[in-house]
Amino acid sequence: MAAADEEPHAVQLLCLIAPRMTEERIAEEWGLMQRSLRPEVARRLAVRVLHADGRARSFGIVPDSMAEQLCGASSPVERRSGTRLPRPDYSFIVLKLLVYGWLTHRGPLTTLWIAGAAGCSYPTVATALRRLGRVVRRHRDRRVELLEFPREEWGRLLLTADEARSTLRYADRSGQPRSASSLADRLRALRPEKVAIGGVLAARHYDPELDLMGLPRLDVSVHSPGRWPDLSFVRRLDPALEATSDPTEPARLTVHFVRHAKSLFLEGPDRLAWADPVECLLDLHEARLEPQAGELVNALRERSQEKP
Amino acid sequence: MIVGSLAAGYHLLGDGKEAQVQTKDIDCLLLPRVEAVRAGGQVAGDLLAARWRPRNEGEHARPGDENTPDRALPAVRLWPPDSKEWFIELLAAHDPADSADTRWLRLPLPGGHFGLPSYRYLDVATHGAPMTEFGLRCARPSLLALSNLLRNPEIRPETMDALVEGRRIRRSNKDLGRVVAIARLSGADGAREWPGVWVDALRACHGDVWRPLAGRTGNGLRALLASGSDLEEARVTCNAGLLARGPVTLEQYRREAERVLVDAIEPIEELAQGGGD
Repeated sequence: MAAADEEPHAVQLLCLIAPRMTEERIAEEWGLMQRSLRPEVARRLAVRVLHADGRARSFGIVPDSMAEQLCGASSPVERRSGTRLPRPDYSFIVLKLLVYGWLTHRGPLTTLWIAGAAGCSYPTVATALRRLGRVVRRHRDRRVELLEFPREEWGRLLLTADEARSTLRYADRSGQPRSASSLADRLRALRPEKVAIGGVLAARHYDPELDLMGLPRLDVSVHSPGRWPDLSFVRRLDPALEATSDPTEPARLTVHFVRHAKSLFLEGPDRLAWADPVECLLDLHEARLEPQAGELVNALRERSQEKP
Repeated sequence: MIVGSLAAGYHLLGDGKEAQVQTKDIDCLLLPRVEAVRAGGQVAGDLLAARWRPRNEGEHARPGDENTPDRALPAVRLWPPDSKEWFIELLAAHDPADSADTRWLRLPLPGGHFGLPSYRYLDVATHGAPMTEFGLRCARPSLLALSNLLRNPEIRPETMDALVEGRRIRRSNKDLGRVVAIARLSGADGAREWPGVWVDALRACHGDVWRPLAGRTGNGLRALLASGSDLEEARVTCNAGLLARGPVTLEQYRREAERVLVDAIEPIEELAQGGGD
């Protein structure tokens, strides 16, 4: 209140972007808040609700025009993006992080590290670990690690990977498609933030001896712990690309969203990052390249074991 | 120098036996401008002596005299001796300092007075035009595209004399449409090389104003993309011409036009805004 007294005319605005609460519920909460606070405090607060479909509503004394301006300035990317992601699947993420630790021989992980990397709370990690049962070894100091590659759990992970990563497939609409190599070159030239190369190219980076010819499509991972990813780079790669939900249509570009708080991207020499090895594995499975995925698991384990 | 769709086809379709450009007029540019009347007289005289025939169809087909206004003079259009399926048309280089869109140079020939039209910004298409095995220079497709973009910053109402697929087509739609067709024939990544070539040509031909010119290269194409009917006219014209062997749907054509925007126009606009050279 001391700070508020220093600026007696200041107004605090809360901007809710695509909230899950209904507008009625927000109005109800707003009413409760109004009754709970002193009038001179309550009248200096406002809420602006922006729905995913573009509708907006204000609560409080801030005029709509000002609220719109303030919210617009605070989230230009979010308002531009047409894609809204679901809430992160932390069970998926926790298992993925454990596999990451196992593949790269990181040794036992603290729950705190997992929670920080995932971007969730300690209890959420604990719940996810409980579900994994015996495949997780628990140390006395509460650190955890996988005993072995969890084939059964991995199989379940693959089944939910498309949904958990909100995979988007892009098809060509020009009738003269660009090659995956061309798209990769353009991505290197663009160097968009929070975007890493995954799929076959990254798998080859992690295992140069991978038995795979050609490049059928470009896989990229977009680090997006939030729910409004910036996909403006896709148009720059090729404006003839369009997201398709038809699984039989050949995808030229596939975008996977990395929802954990730490991207785990590996910075490359040309400043364009590589997606983490587990992302690459998931990409290979998604492209039905199972033998190559198995090969990559072995190569990663062997290589990281060789490191001092 | 050969300009127009034949020049584009020559470079882009190469020796392919299946290659085909559907065009009736072979545009021949006489340059430099100061030599155009002398050279035009000589070329026309030589061809007529070789039994080429004046194309006397359409408006302003009859030769004029010393009283005919320049704008009413017929262009020099000549059929070859054994065909009426195509003809050559003689053009003059435009004075770079002349802001008129079209200018006519009077060309007195023994049969009467003709005119050599010159079109603004066609000069950039002549930059670095390579010599062909036939001893004729042939304009580069990327610079023909730039010339068309500069000359059509908006979609003008004038229409072409000839109908295309039974339709009356706006001249701007034909010109801007050809930019997209050239990009299409240049391959999925072809237009990516254009910005550098365009800047070189603009600096060589319009050094003092290259930045503002570069900054407005995209106006016409954006207008085309914003109008479904104009885009369709452009597509129809291309499918009947440069894209005759590989016609495109409207959706494919739109995507190709957007590629030109992203690969060529947006980069040159950024260069135009930059402070360096």
